Amino acid sequence: MKKSIGGLLVSALALSAAPAFAQDALTLQLKWVTQAQFAGYLVAESKGFYDEENLDITILPGGPNIAPEQVIAGGGADIIVTWMAAGLAARDTGVPLVNIAQPFKRSGLMMICPTETEINEVADFPGHTLGVWFFGNEYPFFAWMNKEGIATDGSEGGVTVLQQSFDIQPMIQGQADCISVMTYNEYGQALDAGYGPDNLTIFNYTELGNDLLEDGLYVMEDSLDDPAKVDAYTRFVRASMKGWEYAAANPEEAAQIVVDMDETGAATLEHQLYMTGEVAKLVDPADPALDMATYDRTVKALLDQSIIKAEPEGAYTTVVTDGL
Amino acid sequence: MSQLQFFIALVAGGLSAAGFALSFVTPFEQALLLKAFLGLGFLSLIRFFIPIGLWADGAFAVLGAVAVLTSIGIFQPAPAFFWMALIVAWLFSWLFVERLSKVLAPRLSDNAGLGLIIPITFGVALLVIWEVVTRGANVPPVLLPPPSMIGAQLANSTGILWADFVQTFVKSVLPGYVMGCLAGLVVAVLVDRSPFLKAGLLPIGNFMSALPIIGIAPIMVMWFGFDWQSKAAVVVAMTFFPMLVNTVAGLNAASNIERDLMRTYAASYWQTLMKLRLPAAGPFIFNALKINSTLALIGAIVAEFFGTPVVGMGFRISTGVGRLAIDLVWAEIAVAAIAGSAFYGVIALIERGATFWHPSVRGGRA
Repeated sequence: MKKSIGGLLVSALALSAAPAFAQDALTLQLKWVTQAQFAGYLVAESKGFYDEENLDITILPGGPNIAPEQVIAGGGADIIVTWMAAGLAARDTGVPLVNIAQPFKRSGLMMICPTETEINEVADFPGHTLGVWFFGNEYPFFAWMNKEGIATDGSEGGVTVLQQSFDIQPMIQGQADCISVMTYNEYGQALDAGYGPDNLTIFNYTELGNDLLEDGLYVMEDSLDDPAKVDAYTRFVRASMKGWEYAAANPEEAAQIVVDMDETGAATLEHQLYMTGEVAKLVDPADPALDMATYDRTVKALLDQSIIKAEPEGAYTTVVTDGL
Repeated sequence: MSQLQFFIALVAGGLSAAGFALSFVTPFEQALLLKAFLGLGFLSLIRFFIPIGLWADGAFAVLGAVAVLTSIGIFQPAPAFFWMALIVAWLFSWLFVERLSKVLAPRLSDNAGLGLIIPITFGVALLVIWEVVTRGANVPPVLLPPPSMIGAQLANSTGILWADFVQTFVKSVLPGYVMGCLAGLVVAVLVDRSPFLKAGLLPIGNFMSALPIIGIAPIMVMWFGFDWQSKAAVVVAMTFFPMLVNTVAGLNAASNIERDLMRTYAASYWQTLMKLRLPAAGPFIFNALKINSTLALIGAIVAEFFGTPVVGMGFRISTGVGRLAIDLVWAEIAVAAIAGSAFYGVIALIERGATFWHPSVRGGRA
């Protein structure tokens, strides 16, 4: 008797509590470690914007040995943050990724050269060593060199490419003449190390018109057949953009949230504050829709460099951003 | 027929019977070879009345592998009897190897050529199962590509693979290996001469050999730059201590009686070293050389994870994953495995010639 009363109680509780707990669970795989590059998602999680949309979001940090495309192919995530070049290349090799939103409107990628290397323009590159990140981040650089007609295979009249660590060490130690930096991260390290516009030649991919779309949101194509999933994605993007808006308006609080959510303890408040400010310049919180002109240019650059073999079809969808 | 063979034969025949029965659910003209194989597997149960030769089991295994491989594309998804046929084919190959090794065991050394069939069957069975499971179950190629795809990539990108091999093996591994092993040998002789070094240096040597390579590699890159020099330095650090420790032990291998005999000949230290103690240490030194041959390749590849010019096995393996070129990564792993095995094999052959007197080489013969 006691048992059945207990059972009744439990089921009554379950019935009353069920609607409140029936959140749609989604897993988001970030492209890199927990940092302000992803402030919008971290803030939305911390401020409860996802809960308001009835979503239960798990945010997985990335790192130098984590390819988000591989994680989602193996079923480890529902949504990933990645660069479009890597996303389309993965689609080309058989992982059907689809762009559902593009909060990052501009690229944060730059190449910087200390002035003593006497590199002042692109024509000065040949004969020098350039640092490039690989692991799927090399596409914008190779597309740029391809556009300029500069060889990258170490032949005469070309450049020597170096696999660069994710910091500015190769420039400080003089192992590379120019290195890759993100405006919101490594460029800040260079500024701290005493470099700046006075003693650096800066090649900004966006200003040169060589930017490829970064940090978009991608899902697997077959999941878009399910209207319930599409609805969850829509609510996810809406809450995330609210997070981006909040982060841009309250950079100090956003930076603190990022530091608190970084389980590794590597993030410092000062650097995250700098990053929040720089990232805000690249994101448009009001409009996460994909800009078709930039998309077409990205596709053309990848085709020209035969990173992808065929013009992609169905690599993006507006169904999510239209539903906002 | 041993109990194990009896059991395998029973399971193989029984599974064939079950698979054969199940296969009638699908239209008969589909996968005819697969059905014929299962039928023959069923018939193999007559072995319990009339003995069947072991080569018949080998033929069954080959037929099964061909039947399963050719019918991968026919069904979507693959039905149960397809997987049963795969298991039966594998059981037949196991039975074949089991029986062959029993026959060869008493005189394996006289049947070296025939003995090779056993590891080859084992390897081929592994590849067939890999191919069938990845393609039959539609495993995404970015998680695990089938061996045929890896083989195609191996054939298509010989240029890249050769450049990586030269960078990693010829430029980093070989110089690092020679320098590390020579240094280890020289220091071992010094340590042997000086009690002070023996007491002071050896414990530090043991301590250093426990250092993780992923801790050393980035530091070497900082010291020696991104190119092959830093990788060779890691290889030197990795190969030095196994050589040192082994040689020091080897130099003590010559017994006191033999040393006393040298003394009665009025041999100098160097004569004793060159004519008695170093040859006696040969097996130990070759042991270190063999350990180091595989260690050196691992060290160079891991060191390349920490910044390289854009060539090299480690570079390709670490960055290929990021751009989802998993088949290229596997091709690179295959090249590394072959190169490492060949290097080990060469050292083992030299050892056989150089330490011909050692019991382990002459196989107990006088």
